[in-house]
Amino acid sequence: MNRAMRFAAAALALLGAAEVGAAAWIHAKGFVAQRLIASAWSRAEAGGEAHRPWPWADMRPVARLTVPARRVELFVMDGASHRALAFGPGLAAGTPLAAEGGNTVIVAHRDTHFAFLKRLGPGDEIDLQAAGGEIVRYRVRETVIVDRDDAEVMDDAGAPRLTLITCYPFDAVRPGTRLRYVVVAERVA
Amino acid sequence: MADRHAASDFIVLGARALVSGIAVAVALGFAAIVLAQNAQAAAVKPGDAHTGQLLLETATPGEYTVAPTVETEAAIQVTGMVARTRLTQSFHNPGTESVEGIYVFPLPENAAVDHLSMKIGEREIEGVIQEKEAARKAYEQAKTEGRKAALVEQQRPNLFTNSVAHIGPGEMVRVTIEYQQTLAYDDGKYRLRFPLAVTPRYVPATVPVEALPDEPKTADAAPFGASFDAASAEALLQPAFATESGDALVNPVDIAVAIDAGVPLGDVVSTYHDARVDKRADGRVVVTLAKDQEEADHDFELTWTVAPGAAPQAALFTQTLDGKDYGLLMVVPPAMDPIQKAALEHVPRETVLIVDTSGSMQGVSLDQAKAALREALGRLTERDRFNVLEFNSVTRPLWPKALPATPANLATALAWVDKLQADGGTEMAPALSFALDGAETPGYLRQVVFMTDGGVSNEDELLKLIAERLGRSRLFTVGIGSAPNAHFMTKAAQFGRGTFTYIGDVREVHEKMAKLLEKIEAPVLQDVSIRWADGSPVETYPERVPDLYLGEPVVIAASAARLAGTVVVSGTRGNQPWSVALTPIPSPDASGVGALWARAKIAALMDAMRRGAGADAYRKQVVDVALAHHLVSAYTSLVAVDVTPTATGASKRALVKTALPRGTGGAARIPQTDTPATLELLLGLLALGAAAVIAAIGHSATRPGSALARLA
Repeated sequence: MNRAMRFAAAALALLGAAEVGAAAWIHAKGFVAQRLIASAWSRAEAGGEAHRPWPWADMRPVARLTVPARRVELFVMDGASHRALAFGPGLAAGTPLAAEGGNTVIVAHRDTHFAFLKRLGPGDEIDLQAAGGEIVRYRVRETVIVDRDDAEVMDDAGAPRLTLITCYPFDAVRPGTRLRYVVVAERVA
Repeated sequence: MADRHAASDFIVLGARALVSGIAVAVALGFAAIVLAQNAQAAAVKPGDAHTGQLLLETATPGEYTVAPTVETEAAIQVTGMVARTRLTQSFHNPGTESVEGIYVFPLPENAAVDHLSMKIGEREIEGVIQEKEAARKAYEQAKTEGRKAALVEQQRPNLFTNSVAHIGPGEMVRVTIEYQQTLAYDDGKYRLRFPLAVTPRYVPATVPVEALPDEPKTADAAPFGASFDAASAEALLQPAFATESGDALVNPVDIAVAIDAGVPLGDVVSTYHDARVDKRADGRVVVTLAKDQEEADHDFELTWTVAPGAAPQAALFTQTLDGKDYGLLMVVPPAMDPIQKAALEHVPRETVLIVDTSGSMQGVSLDQAKAALREALGRLTERDRFNVLEFNSVTRPLWPKALPATPANLATALAWVDKLQADGGTEMAPALSFALDGAETPGYLRQVVFMTDGGVSNEDELLKLIAERLGRSRLFTVGIGSAPNAHFMTKAAQFGRGTFTYIGDVREVHEKMAKLLEKIEAPVLQDVSIRWADGSPVETYPERVPDLYLGEPVVIAASAARLAGTVVVSGTRGNQPWSVALTPIPSPDASGVGALWARAKIAALMDAMRRGAGADAYRKQVVDVALAHHLVSAYTSLVAVDVTPTATGASKRALVKTALPRGTGGAARIPQTDTPATLELLLGLLALGAAAVIAAIGHSATRPGSALARLA
């Protein structure tokens, strides 16, 4: 095989490996972080100090989100910055956590942590537990798709509510979509 | 010969295969993207409710009323170097039910808000200053009793909320706020800024950046203190930005400025808005917007120069209140002769450049930071020394200590900068400790340039660290990205006795960095102190005058039993002591100077509180000054309450829509939640596939007698 072709093949193979690696890294980060947080969480529950999930972590989990029927267990990070979202779902700033009512808004990536949202439908039950708090149960009322500017879904509507948001469509290839998939769940009295 | 021929044929074949491989990959990639887009476009029609109005649920499920709208009028009177602004916010309720409107609005950082009145029809109610909790209580009580009320609270030094209770259906309530501010004066140019846009807090932090030092910093504590409820806190963290609203303005604003400088003016320029400038015969200049109303989505800025020869060297504006003199003093250091100038420019510098490479800097922010670093490195000369460090979860310096700026060292640094990548956390303290290590090279001016988007929660700790370790170094902060934590960086620069520069756009990097670097090449005056020649005790703010750079004046607020006579300004110029005695002619009865002095004192007290210790004592002092001067502060609010009830029952509360700052697109509220993982995976597999194809072609082509070899 001649040199130029060998070089081209090698370059393409490298490029391909790098891209696949980058993609794998995104998934690995999301997965491993959740496992580490899970262990930090259970240590904290067992009555220890609040642990950092990994030594250089600059964020902490604020809640545990579970969907028993779908065997989903996720730890919600503090804030919805890109950095936080790489590790887990994030609680949107200014929205309350469970106990006191209001609209709790949690966002996460469509291709990692919140990929399961597409399988949620009306009637499904979601549990949310703030750090050191009671488990609060919500039931899905509806799922809607909105433009990213239609932020009304994040407003406080009075009644206690859990809103899960991710990007839409789920299987889009290119990032940067304008659409959001929204799961609206109401607190079970 | 035949071999060489065959070889060149293979090269052609290889190149063709490579090109077609890439073409296939690119085509497939495009196809995937286009298909994905089509899928997106076909999937749903995004909400039809692009009306620019906020809907409120009524008591009847499924029925909605619309939120109130606000129109703003600003009348700004400039006298000398003080501006007084009368800001009228007209709340109109177009809905069918009585509502409570909450409007979040920015004011200049140094605004001293001292007046509030509320006008309902022909009745006008004056506001009173009260401690924050008391004011909130008075407001809440009026609200429950069905009386109208207005409450102006400071949320951050440059962000306020105006709450108006019980705006009846179809009703208009006009709330007027007045504030005083000192104008910026730099390089012979006055600058008046009227902020109009609230930057969306796209990167949220649970601990609010402006948390007061004495408030607990836990996620569950009410972020703005107990007196501030969750709904209002939410308003601040995420103002209700309007979506694209068609033709109607979301927050229409009308601005008029009257300048009474006392001296002839040169150019008067409105930087970002079309404006009419009308120079009157009596020397006054009146500036109005060319359009009747503008959208409140980008700041209004007016600059002007005074006619040549009329630029002041020193000015003192005074006001007497309750038997006390208050003064605002401005001194422009006299121009230097060429010898002095040359001596100053020869002060060699030791520059330490710090760049934030945490995950939040990813993308454009890091590109901007890199461009800024290159600009800074490019301006160093062989006389200077420098070092570069990056920090995210860990701090990585290029070298353990600063090295001379030789071409070889600069080349090493530039190559290092190119390779920087953003990832990890934001641990600022080790980076600052490293840069402010007390190791100063004698004879060098030590300057630390700190570039970050400022996403931190332990700001008070950091400010303390800066104050303790600064030594003779100077800290210059550079805010990067669309929404840096400007308040933290302004404070850090102030504690670091440097300046804060904001770069919001990659295109601004060159200009702004060049300006900053040029300026800090020559500090004109350091260790500035001010005293009155007769030795009388004078309380002045800021207590520590910052270093002065080319074209900057000394501006201080002073208070004493009597302010008059000769003022001595002294400092260090280059390495020489310097002083000047001036006898400014006081311009008496400059109204509002007292308020400016009080505002400067409050800022100094809040800073002292940040440095630690005695929070309660400082708090009390802030309250005392604020109440005495009728000022809104972190601990005091203005409240106006109507005497007669006009509404029955509870009102819906509504955040008044705030126009999105220009240039932020629509990404203000719902965060982006997709990753490039799928795209990367697809492109990666395509590239691998193409590589395999080429390898296969190459393999078969080298076998004699293969179809491809014959074809070639």
